[in-house]
Amino acid sequence: MNYPVWDVPASGLLIAVIAILHVFVSHFAVGGGFYLVLLERKARLGGDAPLLDYAKRLSRFFILLTLVFGAISGVGIWFTIGLVHPQATSSLINTFVWGWAIEWTFFVVEIAAAMVYYYGWDRLSARLHMAIGWIYVATAWLSLVIINGILTYMLTPGQWPLTRGFWDAFFNETYWPALVARTFVAVGLAGLYAIWTASWLRDAALKARIARDAAWRWVLPMAVAIPLSLVWYLDAAADAGVPVAEIIGARDGGLVSLLAAVFSTGIATGYPVAQRAAWWVIVAASALTLLTILLAAARSRSYGRPLAGLLMILGLVAMGGSEWVREDLRKPWVIGQYMFVNALRLPAPGGAPAPPEAFVQRFGADRFTVDAVNAAGVLKSSVWVRPVPDHLLAPSDYAARADHQGRELFRALCASCHTIDGYLAIRPLVKGKGPEALDGVLARLASPVDAAGAASNWTTLPVHVKTWRSRRMPPFAGTDEERQLLAGYLALVGGAEPAALGPPSPSADIGKVYYDANCAACHGPDGLAPLDAKGRKPAEFYDMIGRLPAINEMMPAFEGTEEQRKALADYLAALPGQAPKGGAQ
Amino acid sequence: MIPAIPQPDPLALPAPAWLLWALLLLTFFLHVIPMNLVLGGSIIGAIARVRGRRADRAHEAHLAHVIVKAMPVLISATVTLGVAALLFLQVLYGRVFFASAVVIGWWWLSVIGLLIVTYYAAYLMAMRETSLGASGLFLAWLIAAVVGVISLVYSNNMTLMLKPADLVARYAANGAGTQLNLLDRSLLPRHLHMVLGAIAVSGLAISVLGVLRRRRDPAFGQWALRYGAFICTAATVVNIFAGLWWLAALPRDVLLRFMGGDMRAMGELLAGILLTLTGAGHTVLAVTAKRPGVMVGISAGTLLAGILMMLLTRDAIRRFSLDLAGYQPVNWVAPQWGPIAIFVALLLVAVGTVIWMTRALAAARPGGNVS
Repeated sequence: MNYPVWDVPASGLLIAVIAILHVFVSHFAVGGGFYLVLLERKARLGGDAPLLDYAKRLSRFFILLTLVFGAISGVGIWFTIGLVHPQATSSLINTFVWGWAIEWTFFVVEIAAAMVYYYGWDRLSARLHMAIGWIYVATAWLSLVIINGILTYMLTPGQWPLTRGFWDAFFNETYWPALVARTFVAVGLAGLYAIWTASWLRDAALKARIARDAAWRWVLPMAVAIPLSLVWYLDAAADAGVPVAEIIGARDGGLVSLLAAVFSTGIATGYPVAQRAAWWVIVAASALTLLTILLAAARSRSYGRPLAGLLMILGLVAMGGSEWVREDLRKPWVIGQYMFVNALRLPAPGGAPAPPEAFVQRFGADRFTVDAVNAAGVLKSSVWVRPVPDHLLAPSDYAARADHQGRELFRALCASCHTIDGYLAIRPLVKGKGPEALDGVLARLASPVDAAGAASNWTTLPVHVKTWRSRRMPPFAGTDEERQLLAGYLALVGGAEPAALGPPSPSADIGKVYYDANCAACHGPDGLAPLDAKGRKPAEFYDMIGRLPAINEMMPAFEGTEEQRKALADYLAALPGQAPKGGAQ
Repeated sequence: MIPAIPQPDPLALPAPAWLLWALLLLTFFLHVIPMNLVLGGSIIGAIARVRGRRADRAHEAHLAHVIVKAMPVLISATVTLGVAALLFLQVLYGRVFFASAVVIGWWWLSVIGLLIVTYYAAYLMAMRETSLGASGLFLAWLIAAVVGVISLVYSNNMTLMLKPADLVARYAANGAGTQLNLLDRSLLPRHLHMVLGAIAVSGLAISVLGVLRRRRDPAFGQWALRYGAFICTAATVVNIFAGLWWLAALPRDVLLRFMGGDMRAMGELLAGILLTLTGAGHTVLAVTAKRPGVMVGISAGTLLAGILMMLLTRDAIRRFSLDLAGYQPVNWVAPQWGPIAIFVALLLVAVGTVIWMTRALAAARPGGNVS
């Protein structure tokens, strides 16, 4: 809102594609350097000329992959996040400019060392050459040490939201497990890449030696170490307040429960993309492990590029899936306890450093907190929202106005994640739903609760976010009228007739109003569970309304007044029913 | 009325603005040197490759070869030093930079793809130069063209970010990130000025190469000294006109500040002109001088000082333009002195390590590793 939203469908996918390809190479840049120097050492100590020759050729592949694609795609992530989420990027830069500057010093030495190492094969003494190699290894890993602090901060910001301190942000709750996990991944990937590059060798004996060594000493130990470190990571994240179990759709945070949820079908709560990504991680990593054992035990002399390529693809899927899960664990935040994915910020919590008076006088109070946007509205806060043409302001043309303003609101608030028909498509979700039902869903997308689940506010940290069906959505922010206009636009996207769309008007039927706003999204004709009244009496409905979560855990508890409960029961009883009473309720 | 310039983050600036500005200028200056050699060198290299095909132009063929070998390292240095400059730019000017980048989104992102293409092409040339044949010529021109496009995209972003109100109107018309800033009066002269400057700096580098090679290969050394001087001088002379065109294309209120409205800016501009002309002139003097190395050294020193003055002028254009657009710097500063101190210490270690490694490689002879 403070910045323009890049009008690209599923722009977040751009980050995902570039980032996943980058991490697959950049972790190799860390582990591969380590592998290369140890390989050189082994070859030199053993006087093993073929192995030394392989190390030289591997270093060329290494340079071409890591210095070109690895380095430039890393810059590419930076470019992309700046385009897709300028507000978050700006905050990250402000907080971590010195972190990045420190990382840059390692990056400079890393790049220079890699080049000197490559160009120095036939020029430098063995001792000096390996010393340069170790400099490369150290600086490449130290780059990871720094970037890891920034990445983990986004999920678990530690005490930073209250102190705004650099080190509080950097050494956050998931810093150490993530660093260990990423280091293990880098080591494992080095072995995987070695198997891949060895598959091009014609010397079967050398290929077998390299492949067996890479499999038994590099890949397979990490196949044990990485899952253990990830369990530590997930545990640390959960301890820091990340609702890991809720996102995966598990009953609790236990490992068995999480695994069961990942392999269950039809989980209706949690975040489906995270669940699917976790499934792919486990399946790909398991297949990778089994195939590596097979290769090392039985096929080390004869395996070819197809099998090695398959291992690489499985590695990419496992790694990409892991990063995807990590990103999804962060939802609905882009920076935990500070900024949501739609760039809305939390109001400054009590005790956090506040801007001085001179700053507020120059720039005004923060216009982009949830509370500020709720009060002023999106359309009056953001200069990037296209103004409403005069001809659409006539009350008679409500549908056209909803189409225009709702579209703008969708772009400002939703388009950073959702598309209309593509990735995380909105149309199937709103198909056939009326504006009242959608308005009800928007109103309850997310709300602040405390650790016990009781209603709270956005300024009391840590904020726990209660989201609609645990879908990890950010809150809607804007005026009531804007919410209704967005609901109207979504209804049009879902197929509602423009002629049927009008400004919300108070209804005399309290039960219908409550039903439309709170129940129709799921129980409407095109909902997840269309309601069949089955001829029940009002008293039966009245009783059921009082125990909704017991009937189905997906249903939230009734939160209305006694008058609304009675009216809703009457309204439901008056709806037509088809099936006989009994069966699942 | 909502301001066109995005509101700053409710976070304190993590260092005094002067320090961030100084680092922006320093890292950009360091970036500009290899960047000029990539931009100008790729053009000169492509031309030398064409001309060097004739048997009587062996020196040009050899120059093309030298440029090909140097190009991967130069691109690497350009990128490595450029990211630091971009980082400090984003801290100081992120509010307009990010908005401008979104408006030209696809073009801006295309820089990454183009960089990868040109970087791989440069490595391919360096590793397979002799076996590439005619496709080597194609690759040489491809590198020059792609580097030219990248620099043009950068110029677009750097000029568009100076016009916040224009950004809002442009975004309202098209938010898909497919626009460029080609209709900006100052864009083409600015870009032309940069490209000619890059060619001049590359010409100087060829003269330096000539001095360094004079003992080992006197004929080539003398030729490179003369050829570089010609390129540096010719490009600098033409660039005077490009620079005047750029000045004339600046908004009137910005131009007036260089015409006495801001004495420091006017002084930097004049110093930049004098220093670059002095630098180019000394490359010519070097051709007939008894000690050309001294002349080329003076030329390099004055030209680098001239570049620094030009960068200050460029920075002044940015400050004046944004000032006129209502851009106000963040006035909430809470320096992160601990991380700053670590950065400075590591920077010194990094510089020392890179120098040590580079000298070690330069001192070692091919085939020196007999173990």
